[in-house]
Amino acid sequence: MTSGPQTGDQPGASAGPGLVEHFFRHEYGRLVALLTRKVGVRHIDLVEDAVQAALLAALTAWTAHGRPDDPGAWLYRVAYNNLVGDLRRTAGRLRILERTANTGSESGDDPTLSYFSGEVADDMLRMLFVCCDEAIPRESQLVFALKTLCGFSTAEIALRLFTSEANVYKRLARARDRLREVPPDVETPPLDTMRSRLPSVHAVLYLLFNEGYLSAHAEQAIRRELCDEAIRLATLLAEHPVGAVPETCALLALMHLHAARLGARCDGTGGLLLLEEQDRSVWDRERMRLGAAWLERSAHGEVFSRFHAEAGIAAEHCFAPSFAATRWKEIADLYAMLERVDPSPLHTMNRAVAVAEWQGPQAGLALLQALTPPAWLAGSYLWDAVLGDLHRRAGNLVIAQQHKERALASAPTEAVRDLLRRRLAAAA
Amino acid sequence: MPKYLFLQRSVPGKREPPSPAQMQDMYAAFNAWKEKFKENILDMGGQLMPGGKVVTTSSSTDGPFVETKEIVGGYMLVSAEDFDRALEVARESPGVMMPGSSVEIREIREMKDS
Repeated sequence: MTSGPQTGDQPGASAGPGLVEHFFRHEYGRLVALLTRKVGVRHIDLVEDAVQAALLAALTAWTAHGRPDDPGAWLYRVAYNNLVGDLRRTAGRLRILERTANTGSESGDDPTLSYFSGEVADDMLRMLFVCCDEAIPRESQLVFALKTLCGFSTAEIALRLFTSEANVYKRLARARDRLREVPPDVETPPLDTMRSRLPSVHAVLYLLFNEGYLSAHAEQAIRRELCDEAIRLATLLAEHPVGAVPETCALLALMHLHAARLGARCDGTGGLLLLEEQDRSVWDRERMRLGAAWLERSAHGEVFSRFHAEAGIAAEHCFAPSFAATRWKEIADLYAMLERVDPSPLHTMNRAVAVAEWQGPQAGLALLQALTPPAWLAGSYLWDAVLGDLHRRAGNLVIAQQHKERALASAPTEAVRDLLRRRLAAAA
Repeated sequence: MPKYLFLQRSVPGKREPPSPAQMQDMYAAFNAWKEKFKENILDMGGQLMPGGKVVTTSSSTDGPFVETKEIVGGYMLVSAEDFDRALEVARESPGVMMPGSSVEIREIREMKDS
């Protein structure tokens, strides 16, 4: 069944006796998904409180008396009982209890039974689709998924997304407000009927990955964590009939191939390194193998999505033996294909960079000069950096210097500014 | 070897509960601490339920005393060669790492037969 490449949970050094890394956080996501299916997404607040309380109870009980044989089942039992208690205390909600009791015959005497019935993956995916409700703004979808499925707190999300806690809180509230309005009869639709949300789910997973991959956060571990969460959820999606489409495979290929190079993008002090400066021997071979396997799997079908193009580009970079030996023509072609499925001047600019490596700076400049960049691109440091670099190499030193100055002035972080200084050094 | 009673104190009030990731760290820290001082920990004790009664010969009133700034939330029994060693056990315990929490150490007087 699971013919796709897989990565299992590795036991973590700091996880405590017998627990895999991120056990508490991932268990939070699993339990929230499972209990939300049982009582309905309108009660997400009660579900989250019940799960949080169960984890706290575990912390006390397990440190005092040792870890139970099956920690997952222990947590489920406690969280379930907490939730039933909370619902019972809330007047007028007895109906939910009755319905839970009727539909969930498996949850009669031993609520742990359903925990093992192989529905966990279903529940996690259903929750992911619930997060990607079209009526919820994309940024709220992302934050809500990080909270409910990945188990991050508001403060932890704020730290990872470079925003304020108040902002995260606002985005969460927007998602919750919407979910409270969902009528009870459609709040837990079968996965099949949620299939229409698949593009939305892909977009959120892509965003989640990029928040980690492109982050300017100095701490490597924090950036990697978001990438790992995106890969974890995307893998779950790809291994389920509802999500096993070529786009998901391509998305996973893209994630693995980028993640393979994540460690090499920084020097020891958190500074960024140019592609040609990176030590290719530290690229993660296992990730590259997984990326290639998913890319191979993504080719089964009639679909060519933007993820296919981006994964193809990442693969060209990953498997090039050196910067000089990179197949720039292939990369330029892939960018052209990307432009066709997802038109954006950003892709044209990237194609110009590849074309410049392939056919020389003049050819790259010709592409850019035919382009009228929108304000968001023309005002970004990327645009000036690329023009500065190409003009320098074409010998137009005065124009190159102007672009260099503008690029340095609009660089978002000091690490990026350092990178630009090295890249555009000869333009001085 | 002298015995000590550890009283876990904390400032009452609503505090942001720890996140799942923080709980995992606390769990790991607690277990590492327990392993390091396993010779000293006689009884892990436990947490105390909130509320209670204060009884005298004439009455019983609701306690613990409401005017106190800190509330005793748990206890533990520790043995150590001297007070300094007991201090070390307490100082490295996760019980003092949370903001607003502290551990009170009291030596238990040995009853000598005369």
